[in-house]
Amino acid sequence: MNEIVEIFRLLEFQFFQHALLGGTIAALACAWVGLFLILRKEAMMGDGIAHTAFGGIALGLFLGVNPILTSLLVSILAVLGISYMRRKGLAQSDSAIAVMLAVGFSAGLIIISLAGGFNVELFSFLFGSILTIDQTDLIIVSILGISTILVLGIFYKELLSITFDEEDARLMGIPVRLLSLAFNLLVAITIVLSIKVIGVILVVALLVLPGLSALQLNLSFKGTTLAAIGFGILSMTTGILLSAIYNVATSGVIVFTAAGIFLFTAIYRRLE
Amino acid sequence: MIDNSQLGVMKEKTPILEVSNLYVTRSNSLVVEHANFTIHQGDYVGIVGPNGGGKTTLILAILNILPRTKGTIRLFGQNIESFSDWEKVAYVPQHAINFDPHFPLAVRELVALGRVNRSNIGRTLKRKDWKAVDESLDFMGISDIADKRIGQLSGGQKQRVFVAKALVRNPEIIFLDEPVVGVDAGTQEKFYKKLSDLNVTRGITILIVTHDLTAVFCRMSKVMCMNRWVNMAEITTALEPDDVLRKAYGEHFHFVFHKHKCERIFEDE
Repeated sequence: MNEIVEIFRLLEFQFFQHALLGGTIAALACAWVGLFLILRKEAMMGDGIAHTAFGGIALGLFLGVNPILTSLLVSILAVLGISYMRRKGLAQSDSAIAVMLAVGFSAGLIIISLAGGFNVELFSFLFGSILTIDQTDLIIVSILGISTILVLGIFYKELLSITFDEEDARLMGIPVRLLSLAFNLLVAITIVLSIKVIGVILVVALLVLPGLSALQLNLSFKGTTLAAIGFGILSMTTGILLSAIYNVATSGVIVFTAAGIFLFTAIYRRLE
Repeated sequence: MIDNSQLGVMKEKTPILEVSNLYVTRSNSLVVEHANFTIHQGDYVGIVGPNGGGKTTLILAILNILPRTKGTIRLFGQNIESFSDWEKVAYVPQHAINFDPHFPLAVRELVALGRVNRSNIGRTLKRKDWKAVDESLDFMGISDIADKRIGQLSGGQKQRVFVAKALVRNPEIIFLDEPVVGVDAGTQEKFYKKLSDLNVTRGITILIVTHDLTAVFCRMSKVMCMNRWVNMAEITTALEPDDVLRKAYGEHFHFVFHKHKCERIFEDE
């Protein structure tokens, strides 16, 4: 009972409204992009880009620029690098991702040591700090999130087509390579916008778990997409509320909620 | 009955696909050699020949998916390099039905993907697209499984779904690569019957790779034998299947023909 009173009290604070709004946008974008990532069997792409983004955060902190902007730049460069290596036959998809992950992360380490060690701000980008999200961050998250959602909404059927059968899509005159690259850029944008929300280390959970849970339900594509988005938003809001009430790490609770939903759907599938 | 004037019209059918002096090399070995043939509108062609004889390679080269070493290909009178009317062409690949069974897609959604093409990029499918989807499902007799997940279908249902997807864009020519592998005989017969319907009622040109020689000689109008080179023959009562097939399969093959009447094998009505 006390908890419910506490929630209503929290809802009156602006910082809490910001957290819920930013979190919902990030969760929606992550779940939707993540479902395509799972189906394209590229979930590790998410993890790779997230670690590369860490290098971008360090660069931003070092230069005194907003780290979200520098990590956006670095992540986009990583996506272009991965697709270049793949196209030129320098490396397979997974090894190309591994190379970028290592290079980006070590670049971050070097920059940090040059700057004289870790600080509290860096910690908040590693593990997220949605309850301290400020107005500027919220605006950046909203712009990036809504653009991602719009692009996904507009090219939904083409993305489904290239995901299900790339050869057939090519035969139908769909620009497969351009769309694949555009999708990977969306992955980078989605990860970067989630950094403040959940942090680079755990963002892959927000990408993969909602989609994976939705896939257990054996629904149509439309149904699976809606379920994934629903699960993502549910994990996010539950995580924010619980962590605020009990004063524990928000990103940890978000991931645990998402993992709990996955467990339930997996059991449901077994019973069905 | 067809009178002579109609026969005259049929004889002057427009060529849809013209292949001349085609050579295709795959991983350093010549797979298609000196292929020359013309397919006319309304042809129903069975492509037969031993495994590794280049049947799939030929189709992929015609669709400009594989590069060719030499020769020209003309589709609907246009050179394949500059060909742009891909909406007129449908292709059901050999591996079509081997999709990831966990892919979350309902039958209706899969068939609708057949309407996604260059002309409607970034736009939602219109009511007329969904109408075409329903008609295609209806034609293939699979309206009742429209909401099923594709992973839950039987082999025969999967084939019909993929043909429905190919048909939904109203193609004028359709290529099918071994669509009946692993399906029971009764289902295969029904499938060939559907294709005959398409060929006759809609005038769609069909090229089908198959090992089912009975279906070829009883249902189709031309047989293309392939073993690196291509040899095409019109199927008439005077045609000796043995002669045609021996050229593709080689001297060491022994063909046993049971001299059944085609009508008894395929009881259509």
